[in-house]
Amino acid sequence: MALLEVRDLKTHFHTDDGVVRAVDGVSFSVEKGKTLAIVGESGSGKSVTCLSVMGLNPKRGTDVSGEALFNGRDLLKLSGEELRNIRGAEMSMIFQDPMTSLNPVHTIGRQLREAVHVHEKVPKQQAQARALEMLKAVGIPRAETRTDDYPHQFSGGMRQRVMIAMALINNPDLLIADEPTTALDVTTQAQIISLMSRLQRDFGSAIILITHDLGVVAETADEVMVMYAGRAVEQAPYKGLFYQPHHPYTWGLMDSMPNLAGDETDLTPIPGTPPSLLRPPKGCKFNPRCRFVMDVCRETEPELKPVPGDANHLERCHLEEAVKQAEIERITTERLGAVS
Amino acid sequence: MSANGSRGEPLLVVEDMVKHFPITRGIVFQKEIGRVRAVDGVSFTLNKGETLGVVGESGCGKSTMARCVMRLLETTSGTITFDGRDITHLNGRELMPIRRELMMVFQDPYASLNPRKRVGFIIGEALEVHKIGTPAEQKRRAQELLEIVGLNPEHYNRFPHEFSGGQRQRIGVARALAVRPKLIVCDEPVSALDVSVQAQILNLLKSLQRDFDLTYIFISHDLNVVRYISDKVAVMYLGRIVEQTTREQLYAAPKHPYTGALLSAVPDVNPEVARSRKTIVLEGDVPNPVNPPAACRFHPRCPRFVDGTCNVIDPPLEEKSPNHLAACHFPLESWPLSDLRRPAEQTTSP
Repeated sequence: MALLEVRDLKTHFHTDDGVVRAVDGVSFSVEKGKTLAIVGESGSGKSVTCLSVMGLNPKRGTDVSGEALFNGRDLLKLSGEELRNIRGAEMSMIFQDPMTSLNPVHTIGRQLREAVHVHEKVPKQQAQARALEMLKAVGIPRAETRTDDYPHQFSGGMRQRVMIAMALINNPDLLIADEPTTALDVTTQAQIISLMSRLQRDFGSAIILITHDLGVVAETADEVMVMYAGRAVEQAPYKGLFYQPHHPYTWGLMDSMPNLAGDETDLTPIPGTPPSLLRPPKGCKFNPRCRFVMDVCRETEPELKPVPGDANHLERCHLEEAVKQAEIERITTERLGAVS
Repeated sequence: MSANGSRGEPLLVVEDMVKHFPITRGIVFQKEIGRVRAVDGVSFTLNKGETLGVVGESGCGKSTMARCVMRLLETTSGTITFDGRDITHLNGRELMPIRRELMMVFQDPYASLNPRKRVGFIIGEALEVHKIGTPAEQKRRAQELLEIVGLNPEHYNRFPHEFSGGQRQRIGVARALAVRPKLIVCDEPVSALDVSVQAQILNLLKSLQRDFDLTYIFISHDLNVVRYISDKVAVMYLGRIVEQTTREQLYAAPKHPYTGALLSAVPDVNPEVARSRKTIVLEGDVPNPVNPPAACRFHPRCPRFVDGTCNVIDPPLEEKSPNHLAACHFPLESWPLSDLRRPAEQTTSP
């Protein structure tokens, strides 16, 4: 059984202007020790999906429905107290911005000890020892001398390491990382990615990685879910997603990424901007930006269905398979370079 | 990418530019107790119609360098020659005509537009400052600019909050274009944007360069983006340029080990390549520019470090092959490499 099984998750926010369907019927599962990457533009609902699973959305004016089975319990039905016991212990989260997600007025050591004390009654020395051990595990040099430092004394990459140490200190089964490397330089990003995969091997945690960087996905993900306007438009194991991408939005993402392997003079952006979730377009939500739009796309929204010949590869598009294959051929040769 | 005939003449020549920020103690009698060497001897020449990409990690001084070129910061020493004129020490009034020619696009499209002003005003303000045209002409020009950058001219009276991130960055570009500048400094203009929108802005910048014969300094930490837009690339590390050459040479045959490490850290979108290749992970962070390491500033993190040379003799930025400058005693022999160490060392140790 999967570690986390989310079925038909819907998160709707009631605002003065109407109902925002930020997440509208998303299903996915994460296996132990595996990485699921959720990809999409800002506003596609990828962060809200994870916040809903963690029970971190504001209560007022928010409707969350569906199921999120984690270790056999439905997270969406738990009380605040029960959720607090799970968060930080069995599952934890790394936020995007390491500059603002640490408390500036407490030392790093104190914040790490707090993460232990919330879940376990242990003496201070023991918590301190755990904090030190984690700081060493994430590669903070001279960790002993740095536990009494404040966050401002650390660089961005170091702070992100501290965040990872804090998230892993109680050895969670599931780690949700919301754009953990977006704010960082490439060299630091490479350090953090290799750190996360090493820790995943050592601790056996499952990871949900939220990102818009397909390069990071190619390097780390086992499963990929591409989201657009609150819906999953394509879901597949990583090989299927990169070598047989089936949805025009996934093509658009691949075409708009400048890439060291691709031709440097050719970028095709996705025209326009993501739709307002207050008044989403009729039919397929991607139709106003889609190069392959047909009449049927403007009328009915396609179902999420398996692609021919691969039951694990789901997509949501009306386009005929023959048309897609031609485009898949072009994209994989142009964007990925040599394909085996 | 410009087709204009004036291309090739130097527009901007920067020689040995230094910018140190003093660290002081005391309130009345401020005593200097140290200095942040943000930019420490940078020289380059930028020709008309070209794009110079500047890459480097945060804290390497690339933004400070740009701000000095813009004359937004006073340089400590060195000269900046713009369009044949030394602008290093021009004062406020003498600078006014120069300011028209030098414009900037900022990183954060949310913070760089005044939320209380209408878009038309934001774009037209520079025209007013430089007293170009009557108010009616200024309005027409602002609307024309909105159209040039791909926005609806009828949105002239809207406020910035009514636009998305990508649209705001288009407004930022329109504002920079208003007074027909020669040089535009783009300081991480796309790093706050989603990939799909990022490609739109990059294509816009490229087509504007063709249409208006613009010269760009394009600052970014994203090597993919820099490769897409630049003609020449300078790699900065701790206030210095460590490698500078054409785009083709930099990406095909980097010489400096730091450039090699940066290139190897860029994720590949082909999962098989991404999972089989070896990333050269640099240990540690960029050192503190208050006390930069002696001699070669990269030596504490360098996989090719040789004791007695790299920490004693400062390598000059010199030609390693035609038009290819690098500051390294032991430049890379070939590319791609999976191990940056010197060939001699690779055979002796496992």
